[in-house]
Amino acid sequence: MEIIEMDQLNHGRFETWPFSHNHCLSCGLCSSSCPASGMDEFDPRKLVRMVGLGMAEQVVESRWPWICTMCAKCGHVCPMEIDIPGMVRRIRGLRDREKIPGILRKGLEAALKTGNNLSLPKADFIFILEDVAAEIADEQPEFEGLTVPVDKEGATILTTIHNKLVNTHTNDLKHWWKIFHAAQEDWTVPSDNWEGTNWGLFTGDDDAMRTLTGRIVENMEKLKAKTLLWPE
Amino acid sequence: MTATYHDPCNYGRKAEKQFGHGFFDEPRWILDQCMEHWVDLHPTKGDQFCCGGGGGAMTTGYHAERIRYGRQKMAQIRATRAEMLVVPCHSCHGQMNSIKAEYDLAGLKVKYLWELVADCLIL
Repeated sequence: MEIIEMDQLNHGRFETWPFSHNHCLSCGLCSSSCPASGMDEFDPRKLVRMVGLGMAEQVVESRWPWICTMCAKCGHVCPMEIDIPGMVRRIRGLRDREKIPGILRKGLEAALKTGNNLSLPKADFIFILEDVAAEIADEQPEFEGLTVPVDKEGATILTTIHNKLVNTHTNDLKHWWKIFHAAQEDWTVPSDNWEGTNWGLFTGDDDAMRTLTGRIVENMEKLKAKTLLWPE
Repeated sequence: MTATYHDPCNYGRKAEKQFGHGFFDEPRWILDQCMEHWVDLHPTKGDQFCCGGGGGAMTTGYHAERIRYGRQKMAQIRATRAEMLVVPCHSCHGQMNSIKAEYDLAGLKVKYLWELVADCLIL
């Protein structure tokens, strides 16, 4: 076990963070409520204490902030209303971008560069949408005439698309479309920047999050859509 | 068929805290319109357990941890004896389908809330 001298730590390291971590009463309700407690010796109370002590390197390099799902059960039960999930996300943001686990960084870079996590070209995207729409009418004749209005101006609803629905789960595109068809809804899908997921949220990258969200706002303005359906 | 409903953290507990309104009652109203009978999980609404698929957990590659994380969610579902689980979240949907067999719930049908609505359309 590594021994860390208390006086070697910079206790003020995270002093300006707005999560009230220094109000911790060390009651342990957060740890008792957390489904991830015990994994890798993680528990939220310990994390809060380490942030209070300024143990930057240890919390940033740890797997803990990535095993935690930021579900906010801990904050929900905390008597001092410490924003533990917000703190976890901030720690994620301090991780060297090269060391972000899994496919998060790759997906986010693709989204920033191409408008979607898959780098799916526009023509392929539209082909998939039209193909799936035709499939619905083939399977259920009562949906004959169902079409996907792409880039329609002035629609009541503009919807984003989760990338997995134009990748491995195309069948799950159909449910909303059937409802729109049955309700005779005036709706549209943008052909650019249609990505509904925002991995700036998961990687603690506020700038990326703002850019991706801003593109959705741009689509709303450009297409003069009235309501945004963003189920992701 | 007995069904149950899972409150995603982002639509419920987190929305309540960040935006002042948690979407707890709206999906339950939809369930009431679509089904004769469904049962709630316990604990429920703001006290709901996370499924383990949130916060990007489907993408970090920490599979063993993600499966273990879901144990309380699976126990909640088992306690209802539901054959169908309705969820309104892509991450929850993916996670439940991904881990259910690990908890002897391979037969559990996981359904999007809007999929349930689409299934109930009569044209």
